Amino acid sequence: MMTGERSLGLLLFEMTFLVLLGPLVTGIIQKIKARIQCRQGAGVLQPYRDLAKLFRKGTVQADTASGLFRLIPVLVLAATVAAGALIPVVRAGPPSFPLGDALLLLGLLALARFLTAVGALDAGGAFGGMGASREMTLAPLVEPVLMMVVFSTAVAAGTTELGALAAQRGTSWVLAWHAADFLGFAAMLVLLPAETGRIPVDNPDTHLELTMLHEGMLLEHSGPGLGCMLLASHTRQIVTLGLVSALFFPIGPANGADAAGLLLGVGAFAAKILVLASYLALVESSYAKLRLFRVPQFLGIGFVCALTALALRIL
Amino acid sequence: MTETLLWVLPLVPTVTALLMLTTRDRRILSAIDVCGSAILLALTLVLAREVAKGGPRALGVLRIDDLGLVFLLLLVVLTLAVSIYTVGWLKQAVAVGNMKAESLRSYFALVHLFVATMVVTVLADNLGVLWIAMEGTTITSAVLIGYHGHQHGLEAAWKYIIVTTIGISFGLFGTVLVSAAAAAHGAVGADAMSWSAIMKIAPMLNPGIVRIGFIFVMVGYGTKAGLAPMHLWLPDAHSQAPTPVSALLSGVLIKCALLGIIRFQTIAAAACGPAFPAEVLLVFGLTSVVVATPFILAQNDLKRLLGYHSVEHVGIVALGLGFGGTIGTYGALLHVVNHGVTKALAFFAAGKAIARYGTRDMRVIRGLLAVAPIGATLLMLAALSLAGVPPFSIFVSELMILRAGIGQGHWVAIAIFLAMVVVIFAGLLHHVGAMVFGEPTATASREPEAWSPLLGMMLLAAIMILLGLTIPASIDGLFRRATEIVVG
Amino acid sequence: MSAETVRTIIDDLGALLLFTMILILAAGQIYRAIYAVAAQSLLIAIAAAVLATATGNTDLWVIAGITLTVKTIVLPWVLHRVVRRMNVRREVEPVIPVAATLALAVMVVVMSFHLSATLGPVNQAITGNALPVGIALTLLGVLVMATGKTALNQMVGLFASENGIFFTAMAVTQGMPLIIEIGVILDVILAVLVMAIMVLRVRSTVDADIAGLDRLKG
Repeated sequence: MMTGERSLGLLLFEMTFLVLLGPLVTGIIQKIKARIQCRQGAGVLQPYRDLAKLFRKGTVQADTASGLFRLIPVLVLAATVAAGALIPVVRAGPPSFPLGDALLLLGLLALARFLTAVGALDAGGAFGGMGASREMTLAPLVEPVLMMVVFSTAVAAGTTELGALAAQRGTSWVLAWHAADFLGFAAMLVLLPAETGRIPVDNPDTHLELTMLHEGMLLEHSGPGLGCMLLASHTRQIVTLGLVSALFFPIGPANGADAAGLLLGVGAFAAKILVLASYLALVESSYAKLRLFRVPQFLGIGFVCALTALALRIL
Repeated sequence: MTETLLWVLPLVPTVTALLMLTTRDRRILSAIDVCGSAILLALTLVLAREVAKGGPRALGVLRIDDLGLVFLLLLVVLTLAVSIYTVGWLKQAVAVGNMKAESLRSYFALVHLFVATMVVTVLADNLGVLWIAMEGTTITSAVLIGYHGHQHGLEAAWKYIIVTTIGISFGLFGTVLVSAAAAAHGAVGADAMSWSAIMKIAPMLNPGIVRIGFIFVMVGYGTKAGLAPMHLWLPDAHSQAPTPVSALLSGVLIKCALLGIIRFQTIAAAACGPAFPAEVLLVFGLTSVVVATPFILAQNDLKRLLGYHSVEHVGIVALGLGFGGTIGTYGALLHVVNHGVTKALAFFAAGKAIARYGTRDMRVIRGLLAVAPIGATLLMLAALSLAGVPPFSIFVSELMILRAGIGQGHWVAIAIFLAMVVVIFAGLLHHVGAMVFGEPTATASREPEAWSPLLGMMLLAAIMILLGLTIPASIDGLFRRATEIVVG
Repeated sequence: MSAETVRTIIDDLGALLLFTMILILAAGQIYRAIYAVAAQSLLIAIAAAVLATATGNTDLWVIAGITLTVKTIVLPWVLHRVVRRMNVRREVEPVIPVAATLALAVMVVVMSFHLSATLGPVNQAITGNALPVGIALTLLGVLVMATGKTALNQMVGLFASENGIFFTAMAVTQGMPLIIEIGVILDVILAVLVMAIMVLRVRSTVDADIAGLDRLKG
């Protein structure tokens, strides 16, 4: 291995870092959006304040909800945070103990998605059911594409372990990209809004019946439960962005295990996430929400790109 | 001297087209039209004599051999006939308002540009130039098809330009592949696309690549030639175009595309053996004959009927090329000329009948013999010839193709071919018989027949009957040499 | 430039070309399809320039220049004008669902790779994956022409398939002879102008798209 293995301590640090940074990314996206729309906008720390407020509040639960409903936010958050552990943040290289690979990461994200939908259905509200059904309609379009993009890079590297994959790429930059990388990245750009629940696939700012997907599923949650769900979606967002940077821009993760190396890694990671976040904000500001039956068409672009990328790798 | 003529030939219609832009007077335009076509014919005859004496000539990307000469002669003779026919046709069309008097010059200019592009197609030695000229014919003729400017005409023109452009893209693709195969064997630059240069190294070319290239070209130029199932544009275009243009489309244009196919057939036959291109041609030929039949039987529109009939006859030519051998190829080439002449005649006669009754609906056209005896006779003659009745020329070429098929033992193809020809024979004669004989429709115009369309038609009828009765030695020699080029 | 670098660049350009093609196939608005095809032509021009630098073939420079001016700037501008003049509905419903078109596209791409394996002997080492990409572009362009319901879509498809043929020619013979390429481009320009006139003519007489007319049958 080029860079050596990552210790348990480092992994835990990275995971915590991701979870803590998640809301900030949302805040930054909101801020950029506000500026593009010529608004002052809330401060970048607003998501933290929202979370703090929610965790201080009490819980209200629908009469129809079962005991599972209370557990759902915790489970969703746990699954998402666990997924975060699999993303190499400050350094490339495989973990020093068997942990899991990109497939597990995708599986955990899918599990979180599934639990969210189950929770929404469990509460028995019409909006929750509607949101869940829509989310589950789109999920089969999003997840295979993510998987194909991961495979198309994994085929080249010969491993599905993200840290090893990033290490394999080394400090490669766009010029060294294989043709399939361009298509895979294009597929990723199409997928990002879907996976992070943003325009043009979903609208994170509204619960309106016509537009919502993900937000509809959160309607019945309240207090700390809602806080967990929100934190989970913040984390999910940064995990997805981290996945993209691990697959396509692994230049940051430094070799050194010392403090300077770590700092450099953190800085590079933050820069990459910032760029991708600006992309999301830009897309959100320049496009309108697609009608629901147009969404498969939009995701189809990603699907074809990913499949072609895979074909380019294999053929 | 002769080499220069190669370049002068396409320039003649081009210059004629430019001259057209200097005047608006219908008589002067018609005069220029006829003169230009006559000069073209005269120069071609000079060229033909030179080639008969001294063999193929080439200059740059243009080249004339006996094979090209067959098509060139057909082209210039039909152009002259069309010019003569147009004089009287136009007078009538302007009178009833079918053609606008103020835009006549652009019509004439376009017709001659169309002819110029077809001349280049026939003379092209470089397969790239062949393609460019072929696309040029599409563009010029598309404007002519939509010339009347009404909705149907434009619809037909659009369908034509889209379908043939799609097809011809495949043609260019196939050309690129074949030239790549040639480039792999040391042909450089323009030589890699020159037909005569490729033919020299053809047996060494990679058969797999040439095979794929030939299929692409077959689909591409086959679209332009009107072979089924790529014929979708043909009936629409033929029925909506002004009659002289229909005659050119059916008589010459689709034959030019066939020449393109024959050029690639020779390459493919040399590179991967004659069996492969023959099979492809047989499949397309049979499909065309079979597909055209029901549409001919159930047709009410006279010009569409003739259009579908062209699909059938292009199919027959493809069959002849597919059966191959000296007889089959000779028959196919003869059929190209025979069908070109006869179909132009049929369109001319049909055009006059349509003008007289003011409709293309065959159920309305009745008793033509009573109102226009000469035109009716010519229409009947053309129909009899198209149906394959002896002693007209098409009978001879169809018989030769049949003979070649029997000689090769293609019994299934022969059986299908014969069955379809018999059915079409009955259908066509039924349609035309009903139009020519019987009580004239009350709406039919009874004015006397104009001389110039009749003259144009007589010219073609004379060729048609002559080629049916006997093939003069000089023409026979031309066909023999052309056959040799194809068969090798 | 080393042969290896050229190969990588051509490969990458090929991937981007496929991406633009997918955008054209999935474009709901005609403007996007036009921008995508302009971008595609730009990539072709870049590919020609790269190949010209690598092989020292000056003809390719000329081709790159012509492609840049004509196909990247002039023709998209013409299409843009036509769209503005036609005042079309901005969103178009395709004949077959976009999902089906995209599925077909995937099949075409895979098929192209298989076909190009058969064509191995003419594939030039320096151009890498250009041959299958060229085949795919050509066929997908034809797919756009065949499935496009509006005239403008069909014209965009025509461009795309010409682009594909150019790219193929670059892959197998490092470009067609200059005179032929110029002739081909000239034909495309003329064809597009004639088509544009026809589209506007129909638009001015009846309120319909020329590609939507279907009165001629039988």
